[in-house]
Amino acid sequence: MNNQPNRKEMLNMINEISFAVLETQLYLDTHPCSTEALAYFEECSQIRNQALKEYAKYYGPLTIDTATSACNDRWSWINDPWPWQEGGC
Amino acid sequence: MWTYEKRLQYPVKITQTNPKIAQIIISQYGGPDGELGASMRYLSQRYTTPYKEVAGLLTDVGSEGSEMFRFSLSPFFDALAIA
Repeated sequence: MNNQPNRKEMLNMINEISFAVLETQLYLDTHPCSTEALAYFEECSQIRNQALKEYAKYYGPLTIDTATSACNDRWSWINDPWPWQEGGC
Repeated sequence: MWTYEKRLQYPVKITQTNPKIAQIIISQYGGPDGELGASMRYLSQRYTTPYKEVAGLLTDVGSEGSEMFRFSLSPFFDALAIA
């Protein structure tokens, strides 16, 4: 239990990388041929997916796609705190 | 079509009740220039815009509107009355 990464730090990191992914997504909508932006998107997107999986393993899934990474034998989606609740975001 | 993540894009924490501010927040939510109307405008204008770049952008930005719903409705209740 001691080598568990800090929840707040992990969530912060996910928030930051998700921001980068989203903004690059919007940029690419209007600049679809920018290879530079495309490369940046791929890089950020990979980091984000990895981080989401990592988070789900310790603290429950943030996305439905990582719900299986939580390695529980029961469905925890409705029990984990919502982001606006104490212990959430 | 629509999915959500169990996190907020920008966490907010209201520490004291303030009905006046609650009034402003709920107006930002569903008022005449609020997020609800804005996202519906984005999502309906996307169908008639002749440029696929713009249609994509309107779809993506309009979808973010739902983030704003949660983003402002939860602070609204907090500002109105903290349990």
